[in-house]
Amino acid sequence: MKRTLPLILVFIFGIMGIVPYYIPHGGYQTLDNMVRNDFLRILSAFAIVLGLGSLMKVHIDKIKKHRENWPYSYVLIIGFVVSGFIGLFGGIEGNGMLPTSIASFKFDIETLYLNIIVPLGSTMFALLAFFMASASYRAFRVRSLESALLLSAAFIVMLGVIPLGDRISPHLPTFAQWIMDIPNVASKRGITFGIALGGLATSLKVILGIERSWLGGKE
Amino acid sequence: MNITSDPWIWIGGLLTLCIFSFLYKDNPFYKFAEHLFVGVANGYFLTFTVHRVLGPNLFVPLFVQGRIWYVISLTVGMLYILRFVPRVSWLVRIPIAVTIGYYTGAVIPATIQADIIRQIQATILTPQNFQSWNAGSSGIIWSVILFVGVACTLSYFYFSREHKGVLGVTSKIGVIFIMVGFGAAFGYTVMARVSLLIGRFQFILGPWFGIIE
Amino acid sequence: MKILEYLSTLDRRIIYLVLAIVVILPLIFPSIQRVRVMDPVGKLFAAIDAIPDEQILMLDFDYDPQTQPELEPMAVALLRHAFNRRIKVAVLSLYVQPLGLAKKALDQVAEEFNSQAKIRADSIVYGQDYVFLGWQPPPIVPLLGMGISIAEVYPRDYYGLRTDSLPMMHKVRNFNDVGIIVCVSGGNAPIWWVAYSQTRFGVAVGAGITSVYASELYQYFQSGQFSGLMIGMKGAAEYEETVASSLRVSGRRKATEALGSLNAAHLTIIIFIIIGNISFVARRRK
Repeated sequence: MKRTLPLILVFIFGIMGIVPYYIPHGGYQTLDNMVRNDFLRILSAFAIVLGLGSLMKVHIDKIKKHRENWPYSYVLIIGFVVSGFIGLFGGIEGNGMLPTSIASFKFDIETLYLNIIVPLGSTMFALLAFFMASASYRAFRVRSLESALLLSAAFIVMLGVIPLGDRISPHLPTFAQWIMDIPNVASKRGITFGIALGGLATSLKVILGIERSWLGGKE
Repeated sequence: MNITSDPWIWIGGLLTLCIFSFLYKDNPFYKFAEHLFVGVANGYFLTFTVHRVLGPNLFVPLFVQGRIWYVISLTVGMLYILRFVPRVSWLVRIPIAVTIGYYTGAVIPATIQADIIRQIQATILTPQNFQSWNAGSSGIIWSVILFVGVACTLSYFYFSREHKGVLGVTSKIGVIFIMVGFGAAFGYTVMARVSLLIGRFQFILGPWFGIIE
Repeated sequence: MKILEYLSTLDRRIIYLVLAIVVILPLIFPSIQRVRVMDPVGKLFAAIDAIPDEQILMLDFDYDPQTQPELEPMAVALLRHAFNRRIKVAVLSLYVQPLGLAKKALDQVAEEFNSQAKIRADSIVYGQDYVFLGWQPPPIVPLLGMGISIAEVYPRDYYGLRTDSLPMMHKVRNFNDVGIIVCVSGGNAPIWWVAYSQTRFGVAVGAGITSVYASELYQYFQSGQFSGLMIGMKGAAEYEETVASSLRVSGRRKATEALGSLNAAHLTIIIFIIIGNISFVARRRK
């Protein structure tokens, strides 16, 4: 029961996912739409709640057991509770029951997003520019014909996509475009075929109950 | 130079510096900012999930419009929460099975059509593909190079036979295409990372310090 | 040789500092950078320009703060194009994180047009000229569901208004009423629009992508599955240039402003790689 029922369900819903593509019958399309809109969507919302619950559980455990860097877990939990409270009761547009401004100082969820999430998220990724520059200097070594090819293509593309490249030679952007159009597409398409065929095989194995790792646990 | 007095811009600017401090070494300011990001981002996530997903798609139809069949969605969705109750935690497999089942089913025709059939159509040597380059008679050459490149790349990933003889030659040609492809990917990755850094400096020098517009 | 030895043991923080300086200086002392519009961007512009009156432009703004600097200028340029040509626009996001940035771009461009409007007919009105559908998970729901009914997938818009009550949406039922979907994304989302929405409902798809995905996603442009494509900051600058020169739309061009820094940073990284290799060869010979 604990394994059989989920395997039967994955088979039934797997077939339901495939069929509408090949049978564009109005009645079946409506049923398919209902499955997605009224069922899958709500399940995904609960999955989000599960994810948030798990995150909180991990950090509450961390605080209780005084694991490494546990004081920062307070920052995460307080950040979550305060912003969640403001969002839930202050409303998305700041029109909920909770006031979200004091005089001209606003603290609605949109303001928190634009002034906390945006600078933090974008700066974390901006760090990568420095790491990439450092790695280019220390690790990008021409040791073989293959790495020489890689480096040459990289130089042509890097110069071809900046205005300076166009000034050096108008052929550079055209050549960079050609590299993208032909050798790049050829290699990526070969890889895409492999990934697509592997993905199809895995999907079929999941639907047919051969691949069961998603069940987790032995029971 | 016209430094802003907007407290939120100052908060955004100081948080930016907290993250940049990682460049020197890992430190409490960076850790604080990192944890704050995860906390607030999830608060944002929760807000929209409740107000825009569960509200109009479950609570309103079920409790306001009285559409009783939404009880099924509610019940199956609630099974996710049982993950935290050890004795019945296996029930979480039911909503997971439904979601995985539908996704794996829907992805099959989508992959066959978009990633296999259409890609083959764009690779094979047809007059239509020759003309698609808008390069006159060179179009035939480009199409042939593309076709050879795809075939040789595939042969490089064929590991059921030793790469000797014809397969040895084609896989070597395949490596050339793969390396040029990776080189192009690296070149573009440089542009991506640098662009993000430019974006942050545009913020620091612009809205915060007022040095640029 | 001493200098080569010094270069081979250069502290990483000096590399960081050099990069920061070469990015900052062109921002403080800008110079005009002209950009050549390449085929993928030209085709995207033409595809949007050709949307007939009875159809709308659907924009999926799926860029989050992590990819904002590259992709926000694309979003702004696309909206300027649509609003200038009076093409009706529906905006959505497949993920929650991009929502705030999508709204920011919409508010900015609507304000640009409305502040210049001399008469009421010139202004851009929410619900009539554009709608913001918001976010509905999981992505497969909008990707497939909008082929049947947009209002069923988005019963309420971002602001909580009933979607079917918005005047613009009275005539827009499903993908049949959409001229093209342009997905501006920091991830794989443009492929999903092709794989799910295009293969099943035949809708045209264009894309604006971060340059990290350029190499992987370019094949879908070559195969004709994407009607047009913008890649990274350069692609955004090309679209800004096309909109400014073809439609005479004014406004800040953040991607074009960044090109000076992009020039300097690319050149610096190329020099870094060359110096790194020279010192590597010198050490090996020794």
